[in-house]
Amino acid sequence: MRLPDSVTGSFLVVLGAAAAYGGYILPPVPGQPVGPNVFPLVIGIGLVLCGLAIVFGIGHSFEEEEELVPLEDGQVAAAPPPQSKLYGLRALLPPALLLFYVAAADRLGFIITAAIMVYVTSTALGAKWKLALPLAALSPFAIHLIFGKLLRVPLPAGLLPTPW
Amino acid sequence: MLKTLIEAFALISTWEVIIAMFAASVYGLVIGSLPGLSATMATALLVPVTFYLSPIAAIATIVAASSMAIFSGDIPGALLRIPGTPASAAYADEAYAMTRKGQAELALGAGVWFSAVGGIAGVLSLMILAPPLAEIALSFSTFEYFWLALLGLMCATLVARSSPVKAIAGMFLGLLVSCIGIENPGGVPRFTFGITDLFGGIEPIPALVGVFAVAQVMRAMLTPEPPPLPRRKFGSIMAGQWKLTKLYHWQMTRGNIVGIIIGVLPGAGADMAAWVSYAMSKRFSKEPEKFGTGHVEGLVEAGASNNASIASGWVPSLLFGIPGDTIAAIAIGVLYMKGLNPGPTLFTEKASSMYAIYLMFIIANILMIPLGIAMIRVAAYILLAPRSAIMPIIMLCCAVGSFAIGNNMFGVVTVAAFGVIGYVMEANGYPVAAMVLGIVMGTMVEQAFVTSLIKSDGSILPFFERPVAAILAAMAIGALLWPVMVWVWRKVKPAQTAAATGR
Repeated sequence: MRLPDSVTGSFLVVLGAAAAYGGYILPPVPGQPVGPNVFPLVIGIGLVLCGLAIVFGIGHSFEEEEELVPLEDGQVAAAPPPQSKLYGLRALLPPALLLFYVAAADRLGFIITAAIMVYVTSTALGAKWKLALPLAALSPFAIHLIFGKLLRVPLPAGLLPTPW
Repeated sequence: MLKTLIEAFALISTWEVIIAMFAASVYGLVIGSLPGLSATMATALLVPVTFYLSPIAAIATIVAASSMAIFSGDIPGALLRIPGTPASAAYADEAYAMTRKGQAELALGAGVWFSAVGGIAGVLSLMILAPPLAEIALSFSTFEYFWLALLGLMCATLVARSSPVKAIAGMFLGLLVSCIGIENPGGVPRFTFGITDLFGGIEPIPALVGVFAVAQVMRAMLTPEPPPLPRRKFGSIMAGQWKLTKLYHWQMTRGNIVGIIIGVLPGAGADMAAWVSYAMSKRFSKEPEKFGTGHVEGLVEAGASNNASIASGWVPSLLFGIPGDTIAAIAIGVLYMKGLNPGPTLFTEKASSMYAIYLMFIIANILMIPLGIAMIRVAAYILLAPRSAIMPIIMLCCAVGSFAIGNNMFGVVTVAAFGVIGYVMEANGYPVAAMVLGIVMGTMVEQAFVTSLIKSDGSILPFFERPVAAILAAMAIGALLWPVMVWVWRKVKPAQTAAATGR
């Protein structure tokens, strides 16, 4: 997900310009010299300037490279992750699962949705079914007990209500 | 004063506070000791729980969990060479080298003992510094508040281990996020795009949980699992600590002082305190050649420093509502929620609550010693828990916790969105802490800015007229311009050198 500075800098320029324009078109407060438009204008201009500075490499020399810790004798190096392009997309799994929760929790209920989330995350992180399955079966009940029962957060019952 | 102190004692000696504090301590120790889960994340995940507690119990959980998590980050650092929290990263190599020399007990004992001492020094600074500063703060107008808030934001960018320009950009992004909603000088929907859920604005807490917790789970998806912990039997943890205290009393004091100063600076937290103190310890040591080979001196100074910064980070938070670090940023959210609005009047109107906070800090740091020793002994079992079992639970807590903030699914969407934002920013060298400070402080900065502009009838000059405002303005503008100045200087210098050598 590492993008060139020119790309992120240009994005900031566009975002800053949009923010400044968005602020500019806001209605002013009658009889007052300043209103809700001033702050977005200032921020927008700031973002544009920062974006331009990043595109031109100002401040790049301050960035510290991540230090790699050398391995000790007897320590086994972890296998390097596969280099396929699609491998990077795995990182999007957690936010995708959160959106799945938003879409499904009311219909399926907390327990079933949570169990699916736990199972998928756990297997994606390399857990065997012997760990992932009991974890998916038990942890939603534990979380429901803490948040739903003790803290009274209204969690949806859906298809599988809890015994309490 | 005695009456206030007795009232404060009464406030904290309820079963609710005692149980909350104990549970939060254990929770903080466990989360801090798991590699990859930071003290900030531990605190952020705790916030939904604080909704259901009394104000003092809520603050108690934040105080206890954050102090414990900063210490327990040392445990995997010493045993696995993987720091549990970024604050322990500065000396993880040193602690691990001691473990390899068979001095694991001494390294971990120094961690727990000097963390507790540092934490108590930090709270003493909070008790001594805060009241006189509050008196000065009472004379501040919106002009001073504006510059102070800006300076706070700037400090966060100065200390970032990244490009200052990127840090400033991150801060602007945070401020832009804080613009969303109808809470603005005109009361008009701003950047809401017709989405009713955005009318209330973006809450800082789901944003924090997103960038600190979800982004961490996202990173775990792509990084290999840390190696398992080799089995080890520990001897006495506290043996030799008193000897170390006498031998390195000056290093300990210096660590405490540096930690307190860094903590008070808005935006610079325990991570920075540990790095600076470790570097200072090496710089001024009589035996610098021993550093890196398993020498305890740096551990003493940095361990004392990072915990001292936790308590002193509450000074700007309680006085001005400007967070000292990301943990204090979360604490401010909780303070507001519980009606303890930060500001100098807190010291006069809610004095007993203030004393209760001091007392809780002291108790948390004393409690750290027995609980810390117990934690070190059971760490071997906790560190056996595979990441594939911990991360799914954290994901679930993110979903339920963010829903609980407003009993609204929009909180979960916010967490997911900020997870992606935090992940992309971190991957590209944009410090997320700067953005978080922007989100937390945005409304305050805008209010101070717009109110000042209305008072001055649109003129910029009054922003510099009052003496304190002028000094704060000079500092803030200097901080804003220094990356450009350094860049220009570096460009000019080679040209001058080339001209001087006649090439």
